[in-house]
Amino acid sequence: MEFGLSEEQEQIREEVERFAKNEIVPEAEKYDVEETFPHEIVDKAADMGLVGSSIPIEYGGAGYSTLESVLIAEELFSWDPGIALSIMACSFGTEAIREFGNEDQKERFLEPVAMGEKISGAAISEPDTGSDVSSVSTRAEKDGDEWVVNGNKMWITNGTVGDFFVVLCKTNPDAEGRYNGFSQIVVESDRDGFSSDKITGKLGIRASDTAELIFDDVRVPEENLIGTQDAAFMQQMQFFDATRTGVAAQGVGIAKGALRAALEYAQDREQFGQPISEFQAIQHKLADMATQTEAARNLTYKAAWNVDQGNDITKLASMAKEYTSRVAVDVSNEAVQIHGGSGYVNDFPVERFYRDSKITQIYEGTSEIQKNVIARELLGKGF
Amino acid sequence: MKILVTVKEVATVEDEFEIEGTEIADQYLGADLNEWDDYAIEEAVQLQEAGVADEVVTVTIGPEDCEQTIRQALAKGADRAVRVWDDALEGVDLLDVNAKTQILSAVVEEEDPDLVLTGVQAGDDSFAATGVSVAEEIGAQWGAVVNHLEHEFDDGVASVRRELEGGVEELTDIELPAVLTIQTGINEPRYASLRGIRQAQRKELDVQGLADLGVDEGEIEGDLTLTDMYEPESESDATIWEGSPEETAAELGEMLRNKGVAP
Repeated sequence: MEFGLSEEQEQIREEVERFAKNEIVPEAEKYDVEETFPHEIVDKAADMGLVGSSIPIEYGGAGYSTLESVLIAEELFSWDPGIALSIMACSFGTEAIREFGNEDQKERFLEPVAMGEKISGAAISEPDTGSDVSSVSTRAEKDGDEWVVNGNKMWITNGTVGDFFVVLCKTNPDAEGRYNGFSQIVVESDRDGFSSDKITGKLGIRASDTAELIFDDVRVPEENLIGTQDAAFMQQMQFFDATRTGVAAQGVGIAKGALRAALEYAQDREQFGQPISEFQAIQHKLADMATQTEAARNLTYKAAWNVDQGNDITKLASMAKEYTSRVAVDVSNEAVQIHGGSGYVNDFPVERFYRDSKITQIYEGTSEIQKNVIARELLGKGF
Repeated sequence: MKILVTVKEVATVEDEFEIEGTEIADQYLGADLNEWDDYAIEEAVQLQEAGVADEVVTVTIGPEDCEQTIRQALAKGADRAVRVWDDALEGVDLLDVNAKTQILSAVVEEEDPDLVLTGVQAGDDSFAATGVSVAEEIGAQWGAVVNHLEHEFDDGVASVRRELEGGVEELTDIELPAVLTIQTGINEPRYASLRGIRQAQRKELDVQGLADLGVDEGEIEGDLTLTDMYEPESESDATIWEGSPEETAAELGEMLRNKGVAP
């Protein structure tokens, strides 16, 4: 059993930390308040190869595994979740192209993302389709050698800044079984009939772009269908382990950042003639926060390691996602508490961590769905 | 053209620290690539990207622990690295300029570069002498505190801009082979890319001992003794203005002018 990071992994973490401290931290409050996408920071991150780090080397990425992606996400999210997500999400949807795309699709779609020239997105949720993914109603119909896409997608990360989206569409409404008859089709945002509407007023991760996508008779060439027609569910399900582990890493990062901020504040802030870190009430909070964070981290690393071994870890990935997101919310909550009144305004980063943490319990499968999955696996009920 | 860049892992100190004897206590120390060396590496890598340099080699004196730091240079684009270490160095308390000069000059002799880039100084011990001293030892010309380097080397001449005190700068032509000590601000050092970090793991990092370089152990014994280390008493002299931003900014501006900081 090996719990240590390799020299290379340690070096990645350090360089990401350097980048975050210099480029992200000074700007974090501004992008949160203004709710704007941090293009300048994303461009710099792209120069460093932070976007699309898991895209294979032959397509311009760094070819990093799940564990390394977890380390990158943890470090970035520990400095600012909104900007971190903006960076990490630049390659959303590309996993399907990486795994199931043909050579032409990989060259067209993976390379520009790895180079930071294009931003991708994944479009699954709809106004009436959240946790029940099988109710997707966005339709793609074949017309000659083109697909014609109609429908709406909701809560789409990068919706107004993305250059293309991997869209989950119903391609065969007559298919039997609720998980059959869906396909993943790439729709470029400059196609006629495509529009997007930015969603503002989010509780957290406000730097990250979220939008509703509207497809009104959008025509894309048939070459834009990824993998096997009507088999998108089976395709996409293979990534659940990795994507849930990825959100778990976000939670670890948020907890780590909130803990760091609380630890620093507790040692600086003096009351009754001494730093509040001298009080046992505060010490016990810090001890709990650190312990929870470490437990969450170990669960996440174990999940990531297993994904990289090619093991099927449905239960473990859901455990990591559910537990870690809960820890992120709890630890950032306590961090605000330790800051007292100062934690309630945005003079300190903990207010942001607290707001940002909540989304990790919602996206990529809510905590309730994760628990359903865990219980189903425990009871051997299967898919 | 071949460029040799000397790099050093320096000790970094936390804001709050304690001194034990003549050293800062271990728990307050971190390690990082020397800031000036980061600029020297960037300059060399830019010369390589511009097609001026064919090979960029880094050299460091340090134990195995420092390899992770040294690989930063490889991740940023240097082709290979040489690390010099020896049991004899383990026992030396203070590696002085002469010792570093002997070791680095031996590496220069072996590598035979056209250009040697060093940082102006190391952020921890601040001798600020190694680059110039190596130049003297190998009989090369040098330029100290270089803050601009022309990337055309016409007729084997490096045209550099050097930073003098009092806001004065001078341009100097220096014949190669030469040693340039690089000042911060000469360029904007890049972050190591993730691809670079990955590739750096496979780049050559050669370890050499004193005997490999033909350096006699006697030559690294220093004549310097560190006698004390302390924090100077600082005089508190803070001025706090109250009022609107316009008023306080005006008062600050006035003070900076009076003190000769601003024109």
